[in-house]
Amino acid sequence: MRKLLTILCLLFSLTVSSQCVSNQSFILSAPGPYSPGDVVAVDYTLGTFTQLNINWIIAFQINLGAGWTNLIPLIDPVGGGTQPGGWVWDVQNTYPSGLNFGPGWRFVNTGFVPDWGSQSTGPFTMRFRVTVDQTCTADDLSISINVIGDCLTGGWNNGACCSDPAYQIYNGNVQVVTPITSNISHY
Amino acid sequence: MKKLLTVLLVCFGLIAYGQTTINPDTVCANAVGEQYFVTNTPTSTYNWTVTGGGGALQTGQGTDLITVDWGGVSGLYLSAIGVIESNAAGCPGLPVLLDIFVLDLSSNVIGPFCPGDPSATLVGNPAGGVWAGTGVTGNNFDPATAGVGNYVLTYSMAGCNTTINVVVNNGPVTGPIQHF
Repeated sequence: MRKLLTILCLLFSLTVSSQCVSNQSFILSAPGPYSPGDVVAVDYTLGTFTQLNINWIIAFQINLGAGWTNLIPLIDPVGGGTQPGGWVWDVQNTYPSGLNFGPGWRFVNTGFVPDWGSQSTGPFTMRFRVTVDQTCTADDLSISINVIGDCLTGGWNNGACCSDPAYQIYNGNVQVVTPITSNISHY
Repeated sequence: MKKLLTVLLVCFGLIAYGQTTINPDTVCANAVGEQYFVTNTPTSTYNWTVTGGGGALQTGQGTDLITVDWGGVSGLYLSAIGVIESNAAGCPGLPVLLDIFVLDLSSNVIGPFCPGDPSATLVGNPAGGVWAGTGVTGNNFDPATAGVGNYVLTYSMAGCNTTINVVVNNGPVTGPIQHF
């Protein structure tokens, strides 16, 4: 099946230099800047996943700055294309290639090989929630997502892998509030 | 008009912030229960330090208001009181410091006097204070003006006082000359 797809792709001269990931978007509820204790919901949508060399999408890796804590998945992505299986939340997983994944969602293919990923090209929507940790320093609050194809995980090896850069959702630092004390008075 | 507005604004500012203490603050030697405070933020905690001047924090650690007992050694003590405020997240602010001048008043001893004695000079230390009491005019005590009796004279400065006791005795009463 995959070989057939490979041949078809070659025949149709798929542009190998194009990115696999496109039409990404996000919504932050609420928008920054953020202070300790703030809770933020992140809605992320991947509009299209182009299957470069038949790389199938397999995981969404969430990258958080040190200022975040309490990452909680709220809405899982859906869609396996023609492939059975599902998107599971995982804090950590080491793929056959040695790729250290997590946290995020990864597709477990129950049809062929677990590491083959999803044949769906999108769109994928998901939501997670994070909380700004209690801190007195302006810690990093960046949020980004890497979309990973099964070529990177060792599930599929057919030429160049998708190597899209992380999609930046938020860049900022904790807004630290330090008290301003009045002068000392004497009754 | 501009000056008036400026004065009003300054006064309003002082009232609004309750800030009436000039640095350094002067306290009397061996004063007890002296209260110090900062503007309170209900969610904050306050870590006070009292160093020098024989000061000892008595009550209020953690709050916006403390009481302090002071020692008896006169002098200027830099940063004798300090406070660091921490907000609800535990983040500390910058330390706020206050210098303390411990003022120990003393004076010379005068008397006892007889009603006809000349005026005596009152000497307070440090100089610059004010003498008060019966028979006192400026820095002088006049036994004739005071008359016979026991008097307490007060030397005051910057809210501190010291007292001395002065006695004006009766003069001898001599009877008429008798011839045996």
